[in-house]
Amino acid sequence: MRAGRVVDAEFQLIDRQVIDSDGVPIVAVDDLEVSDVPWNEDLPRGTEAPVVENLLSGPTLGTRIFGGRPPESRWQRIAWKHVVDVGTALTLDAPADSFDASWTERWVRNHVVGKIPGGHHDPE
Amino acid sequence: MKKLLALALGILTAIGGFVDIGDLVTSAVVGSRFGLTLVWVTVLGVVGISLYANMAGRVAAVSGRATFEIIRERLGARAGLANLAASFLVNLMTVTAEIGGIALVFQLVTGISPMLWIPLAGFGVWVVVWRAKFSALENATGLLGLGLMVFAVAVFLLQPDWGHLAPQLIPRIPATEDGSTYWYYAIALFGAAMTPYEVFFFSSGGIEEKWSVKSLGEMKANVLVGFPLGGLLSISIAVCAAVVLLPQAIAVTSLSQVVLPVIQAGGTLAFAFAVVGMAAAVFGAALESTLSSGYTIAQYFGWSWGKFRRPAQAARFHLVMLIGLIIAVLVLLTGVDPVAVTEFSVVFSAIALPLTYIPILIVSNDKQYMGEFRNGMLTNALSLIFLAIILVASIAAIPLMVITGAGQ
Repeated sequence: MRAGRVVDAEFQLIDRQVIDSDGVPIVAVDDLEVSDVPWNEDLPRGTEAPVVENLLSGPTLGTRIFGGRPPESRWQRIAWKHVVDVGTALTLDAPADSFDASWTERWVRNHVVGKIPGGHHDPE
Repeated sequence: MKKLLALALGILTAIGGFVDIGDLVTSAVVGSRFGLTLVWVTVLGVVGISLYANMAGRVAAVSGRATFEIIRERLGARAGLANLAASFLVNLMTVTAEIGGIALVFQLVTGISPMLWIPLAGFGVWVVVWRAKFSALENATGLLGLGLMVFAVAVFLLQPDWGHLAPQLIPRIPATEDGSTYWYYAIALFGAAMTPYEVFFFSSGGIEEKWSVKSLGEMKANVLVGFPLGGLLSISIAVCAAVVLLPQAIAVTSLSQVVLPVIQAGGTLAFAFAVVGMAAAVFGAALESTLSSGYTIAQYFGWSWGKFRRPAQAARFHLVMLIGLIIAVLVLLTGVDPVAVTEFSVVFSAIALPLTYIPILIVSNDKQYMGEFRNGMLTNALSLIFLAIILVASIAAIPLMVITGAGQ
């Protein structure tokens, strides 16, 4: 953890674009998962502050807007340790295809767009 | 020298690319009914679009973030989604109008019903979006669109009575028209000049072409020279209509009335230039608005997008555009009048303007995003004045549409 740089989660993390190590957009940060703190009880002195554990995407967007909470099995997580830079976008340390969060992109590529002639060609 | 050529090319494509089916139809309708008494609105709209396109382009070049990424980041997921739904629908109306416009131009040349041309036009737009390089599609349609300059030439060939025309430039409501109709068409013209897709396209295009802080000068020249000259083309179309159609009380119901003054002024040759110019301008706008439908959705959800990638590397972006085009073609195949779709699309654009322009103004003042390239005092003062105009136009549009029966 780098000291000295304060990042406002609400303002600088949520709803930001996430790009991979090659600059390819993957998702936007739909929500954050922070580490557990005891709920509804007094915290003993010296308790560690909660930290951001994962960036969430996918179904959490719907529940953030319309309320509710998706089952935990359907959360799409990107572990915070992959984040290497927080700027006008969050940069990750690996290519997009190595993250679960980009599965819809791969699905559309493999089942629809990649099957149309010319789908794998550079524009001319 | 090479740099100068690139600059000239950029400006020329901005001129040719400014006019779309909305400008063509609305300018001619307004010219034929109100003479030159609404020219001031086009001037106002051109100043507005230059101001805000320049801002959106500057944000893209400095921060690397396109307009809809910013809309979501600043408005949050919920308001951003509502904005996306409205912007996408209005943009889809524009796509529909432009594809109908391509069909109308082909009908004008061949006499064959637009119904036949609609699916072909949709397919043509898709093939270009699917295969062509960004710079190629922009340059080709922009340069051929310069054929529209024949409208400016026609104004002089028609040898109008200048002493009779000049006083019309003073804003006033003609005796033959209602005040509410006058203001309804003022809003339509304003919406046609400031159509939101132009900003989505301009900022995303900046990222397609890998703009950086170094490109700011070139971008500014494109906007501040290219758009006003494009606006002059739009005004020429209105003047042609005011000189030829207004005195004979000819109503504009299709593109054949739009080109009538050009034919009268310069015969077949002028007609040929007008047709090439209109076809290129409308086809170019169809491409730009189709791309914008993909840009807005992909940027909101954070998907991979862009013409510089292979379609398979921006799969969902291409899927959105394909679905959008199919919907546009199906809507047109129900037999709706493309001219009517166009007239509605420019008014709905006017209604949606604040959704696009307010977030751009906020972010271009953001220190984190823009650093030293934040808006200056003058830009902010001008932008706030325009924001007020945009809000008034947006709020007044629907009541005026109801009162006037959509400008009847």
